Amino acid sequence: MSAADSTRNDALIAAFQRAGYLRVVPPILQPAGPFLDLSGEDIRRRMYLTSDAQGHELCLRPDLTIPVSREYLASAAVGRPQGFCYLGPVFRQPRAVTDGVSEFWQAGIESFGRTDTAAADAEMVSLGLEAAAHFSLNEPAIYLGDVGLFSALVAALDLAPAWKRRLIKDFNHKSTLAQDLDLLAIGAAQAPPEYQGVLNALAGSDPKAAHALVTDLLSIAGITAVGGRSVGEIADRFLEQAALGAKASLPKEVRALIERFLAISGDPDDAAAELRTFADDSKIALDASLDLFENRTGFLAARGIAVDRIRFSTAFGRGVDYYTGVVFELHDAQGRIAGQLVAGGRYDGLLTRLGSAKPIPAVGFAVWIERLATLQGDT
Amino acid sequence: MSEAFIIAVPAKGRLQENAESFFARAGLTLLKPRGARDYRGSIADVPAIAVAYLSAAEIVEALAEGGAHFGVTGRDLVHELISDPDQRSIFIDDLGFGHANVVVAVPQAWIDVRSMADLDDVASAFRLKHERKMRVATKYVNLTRGFFAARGITDYRIVESSGATEGAPAAGTAELIVDITTTGSTLAANGLKVIEDGIILRSQASLVASRQAKWGVLERDTARIVLDRIAAQKRARAVREVRTRFAACDDALLAQAKQRFGVEAPFGGPTSSGMLTLHCPPQYVHALASLLREQGADHVSVMRLEYVFSRSNSLYTKLESGL
Repeated sequence: MSAADSTRNDALIAAFQRAGYLRVVPPILQPAGPFLDLSGEDIRRRMYLTSDAQGHELCLRPDLTIPVSREYLASAAVGRPQGFCYLGPVFRQPRAVTDGVSEFWQAGIESFGRTDTAAADAEMVSLGLEAAAHFSLNEPAIYLGDVGLFSALVAALDLAPAWKRRLIKDFNHKSTLAQDLDLLAIGAAQAPPEYQGVLNALAGSDPKAAHALVTDLLSIAGITAVGGRSVGEIADRFLEQAALGAKASLPKEVRALIERFLAISGDPDDAAAELRTFADDSKIALDASLDLFENRTGFLAARGIAVDRIRFSTAFGRGVDYYTGVVFELHDAQGRIAGQLVAGGRYDGLLTRLGSAKPIPAVGFAVWIERLATLQGDT
Repeated sequence: MSEAFIIAVPAKGRLQENAESFFARAGLTLLKPRGARDYRGSIADVPAIAVAYLSAAEIVEALAEGGAHFGVTGRDLVHELISDPDQRSIFIDDLGFGHANVVVAVPQAWIDVRSMADLDDVASAFRLKHERKMRVATKYVNLTRGFFAARGITDYRIVESSGATEGAPAAGTAELIVDITTTGSTLAANGLKVIEDGIILRSQASLVASRQAKWGVLERDTARIVLDRIAAQKRARAVREVRTRFAACDDALLAQAKQRFGVEAPFGGPTSSGMLTLHCPPQYVHALASLLREQGADHVSVMRLEYVFSRSNSLYTKLESGL
């Protein structure tokens, strides 16, 4: 069955358009930089890369979120709420020579500029379910997560900035997150860094003194500053490390707290109740994120989604760096096909990183056409 | 020529000289019948073999695509240029020259960065402060990505560099580099230092076989001849021959020498007259000679060997089991 010439695909895109989303057809050939910058270098081995005569790196689009975001930023609607839908091929190198195809079709929606966050989030899940229904899949398994909750937890913890940065970064890579927690917990047992003397000298000093010390150290060593970091940046990090040295290890109770948080899962209503208890017990303010979470659940229910069908987990992430809020995936409940059928989430930071002067909220999802078509062919 | 068994050898510089002397030691003399500038050669007494003199990247490509049966190349390039090296090539042996490391190097001014964990932290801080990711200049794109991913480092961008990578930080086109280095002096001259746990790969020249090449009966026979000579020379280099004869030389003494020095008796235990030939690792030759004299030997002779041919050939076995 060809993914391209199906009337069913046209019906899907027409439904998106009726829901108010403007169809866009971004070029297949895209600048490679934004994908590598925003999705991480790891995506490089999945991309088909080429270059033009000027040496600019180009790629066949590996997904449409970034191309559609760029179209929006270049459009007259930029800054105002506007939703887009798309349908077309994307290109990714198979992970192994033996498996998978390199070109497949995706449909999807990207919604920009809406400030009614909870309602917009719920609409994405709802439209994702409708997309699955177009392929006669009526009861997919719904997996839901919320990156914002973990960020709120980390922000509220009494931790050094270096560790906060790391925990947030590694939330998307669960194996390294576990390592981080181990490292944090055994921090005191680690050998002190060789520059412990510098840290001791810096303990309690102010940024200005630290700056002067680093400048002196560099000039004593005869190093003329090269490389993209300033003396100030190096001094700041020494100060951070000095502060970290004062309490190098994570108190047991903080680690237990993070683990208890990441164990919370279930349907969204139960999980929300559990999270409220957790916040009260641990005196950690998660109010704003939890209000949004419960609001969203309300909108999901209002859209006729049986909330008790949703499998929420605080630990659920999609392994993509740019998500900042809700993330979700729809899977075949009977497990006939591996991998997500529909997946998406909120990426409020992305448009700034693509060059927007002010932050623009954004949320969207993609539909894996061939996977759904295969399932439909099965039944 | 298309029917020939092809060995790809570096076309210039120290690597070519070293490769030629390596083959020569193994009794495989590389000839360039049409002069030194020719890029096709042969081997003195094995007419089935054609030697192709290629650039480093071409050798790896020839191995990956089956254009050569054997190639002399660095591990660094095999791992960088072939995405599935085990599927396409068989590592036969290290050759003992062309040592170099692929390393992560940062400006010396980054006195707060000593480990990859430091670099991870700095990378994240850099992105938050500068709204862009730190750039890594390298020609080892795949090795870099794999190494960084294994250490959980995500906040970086690769800038492909085709030459003079070590100059990128000073030129402002990258913040750090991944490059190959033998002594580190070029890095130091450019104000860079190697991160302590930032050695991605310890490379040296290796003999690599292609799985993609044609491996019929003739090709296997030729490979057996080549590997037989290489293995015989390798074995000869790894031992010294120790000979002696004295009445008290018996199996118990041999067992003791085996246990203490790892010697082998390739021609069997002592004869009835106490004649014994041993192969001994070079570092134990003197201790073994002392032991033999303590036990009654009047004379012990020690020799370097040219070749030690054996019925079994571990290098050929490696090739065979990989095909």
